[in-house]
Amino acid sequence: MHTAKSSLKHIAIGSLGVALLTFVSFQMGMDLASAIPLYLCLVVLLSLIGDFGSSLFVAALSAGCLDFFFTRPLFSLYINNPRSVLALVAFALTSLVITKLVSQVRKEGISARMQKDRLDRLYHLAEGLLHLDAEAAAGRTFLDPFQRLFFVTAICIFDAEAGVPRIIGDAEPGLADKTRDAYIRGAGMDEAESGISVRCTRFGARLKGAIGFQGLKDPAETATALAALTTTFLERTNAFRQASAAAAAEQAEVYRSAVLDALAHEFKTPLATILAAAGGLREAGPLDAAQVEMAETVESEAARLGSLTSRLLRTARLEKEDIKPRMELTDVGLLVSRIARQYGERSPDRRIIADRDDCIETLADAELLRLAVSQLVENACKYSELGSTVSLKIERQGDFVAIQVSNDGSSIPPNERRQVFERFYRGARARQSTSGSGLGLYVARKIALAHGGSLELETRGGAECNVVFSLKLPSTKTEVHHDIHHVVGGRVAAK
Amino acid sequence: MISTTLLEAGLQPSSVLIVDDETTLRKALRTSLIASGFEVQEARSGEEALDTLQRHLFDLVLLDINMPGISGIDACRRIRGISPQAGIVMVTVRDLEDDKVRALEAGADDYITKPFKLRELTARLRAVLRRTRIQSPAETSVLEAGALRMDVERRLLWRGDQEIHLSPKEFELLAFMMKNAGAPLTHVKLLRSIWGIEYGGELEYLRSYVRMLRKKIEDNPAQPQYILTEPWVGYRFRNPSDPDSPSVPAEDE
Repeated sequence: MHTAKSSLKHIAIGSLGVALLTFVSFQMGMDLASAIPLYLCLVVLLSLIGDFGSSLFVAALSAGCLDFFFTRPLFSLYINNPRSVLALVAFALTSLVITKLVSQVRKEGISARMQKDRLDRLYHLAEGLLHLDAEAAAGRTFLDPFQRLFFVTAICIFDAEAGVPRIIGDAEPGLADKTRDAYIRGAGMDEAESGISVRCTRFGARLKGAIGFQGLKDPAETATALAALTTTFLERTNAFRQASAAAAAEQAEVYRSAVLDALAHEFKTPLATILAAAGGLREAGPLDAAQVEMAETVESEAARLGSLTSRLLRTARLEKEDIKPRMELTDVGLLVSRIARQYGERSPDRRIIADRDDCIETLADAELLRLAVSQLVENACKYSELGSTVSLKIERQGDFVAIQVSNDGSSIPPNERRQVFERFYRGARARQSTSGSGLGLYVARKIALAHGGSLELETRGGAECNVVFSLKLPSTKTEVHHDIHHVVGGRVAAK
Repeated sequence: MISTTLLEAGLQPSSVLIVDDETTLRKALRTSLIASGFEVQEARSGEEALDTLQRHLFDLVLLDINMPGISGIDACRRIRGISPQAGIVMVTVRDLEDDKVRALEAGADDYITKPFKLRELTARLRAVLRRTRIQSPAETSVLEAGALRMDVERRLLWRGDQEIHLSPKEFELLAFMMKNAGAPLTHVKLLRSIWGIEYGGELEYLRSYVRMLRKKIEDNPAQPQYILTEPWVGYRFRNPSDPDSPSVPAEDE
């Protein structure tokens, strides 16, 4: 609209100019040769302010006036002199070329100005985003620079890994769907009527997600750049978050090691003293039955504290070091049922059931395996309601012996499932309800891996599914005879 | 108070030197060991222990591994020089490998890990005492432990009435273990004693042989009664007839 109006204005100004020039030149009695340069000047001047269309009109009008008022026969468009025809054609061509060139230069100037303006805004946006801290990335502050500089009213960020679109600002209903659709199609889109533009984001060649903008002006030129900037910013805040988490974990590790060392050296001597004193009390006697019982309680509880300390220390050490299992033929069934019995005695509020086939033997480091399975049972007890059942199941699964530990009625939210095996990770609910080091599952898994097996979290049932930890060990089918080494000439030779 | 069993047996109470820098632990151990029938003296450091040992003879030394001044390991080595007849039990703190192996290599007869129950300690002290006293020159040709009977000269082994066939190396290994019943035997010590001085790192050989032996002599090889695994250290042969033999599965919490 705007351009049509200004073209009309230019045509009006041009026509007025031509009329004025024609009147003055005619009054002065000029001939064609003197009039042509004047008209040419006018056409050039007008093309400087007008667009190509209006300039072309002015040039045509000028040619008409030159023919009508200055070419014989006067007051007619008929030309009888071929030289005049030539002069007029030359005039028309010259003005056409000039008009074309000038308007092209003008257009490029305008586009360069716009380009510069866009770049300026992008620069300011980048600057604005750089000043945002990681916390703001999730909030409305993130939208502010987009709104201020590009009139964006809402942004939708769809990360394929998270699977859920995140919307910042007041979005129209269609924004999230359109963003996800664009990701699925693998191509961006611009929609004029809804004002929504979507661009896919990539990490290298891999499609990573999509970003949708609502209300973005000239999306063709800016949407891609904005999407790239947004992605970079999000990656940066992510990296920052991970880096600070890593730094915190490192710090925590230093601290934990110090605490554990203190446990090793500072706790054990007092515990040994208590045990020696309680034992001595009993030996020194004579004590009555109740006194003997109390002395024995002191002794057994102090011993329990001692072995808890030892286990914590061992876990901490296994966490730090490479695990080298010392394989021996182990009756896994027996080991597991012993653990079940042990925990059954210790937690009378829960039912602990061990279910196994006959004797299942395999090569394993019994010490380490006991530590890993105990950890799973302890967790199953810790994170279940009073009165619930913890079951241990052992079965052969192909080339593996699987030990499955599950409890009824506890679940792990899907977003925490991947993290439970991470070092020092403790679920949101775990942190609220019980104590723990956040090392147990990490170490249990490390033990399973060191055996050439695995430890995985499986879920069963619907939404309120049971949590099943499945520890698999490679099963040794061959008779032990086969890996015995033969004695050759008094020396041992490996097969 | 002196334990009645010792009085009945008409034996002199055994003398123990407790070497520990922790005063309260030393006092508690002293009182408790006296109540259990031992004669006790104390030393606050390795230096003091060496000094005392140069002047008095002791049957047993209970030696803490972590002490200021000369370390428990150094002290152990020097005590072996001064007082070869004394049984040495080292008190370790760390549960895993190193300290225990180092203690045994330095000449300790056994170790016990802090914290320990008094009964465990007295059983271990008595077992060490018996072993050090039995170091008799007369080699017995028949070894017995529980249902096992071994004729060393004729190289025969019976479990109850049943004769068990062992390969020559299996026999040597079992004989060595039975002769050292009750004592912790490091992997290296076993390998060198049976296979030769150039061995030491070939744990897999040893494990294979122990697996085989267990299959042959144990009722349930997965729950051994005779050849017990000392985690990270080696093995210990248990004689079920010995009242001070270690409790069977060294069950961890």
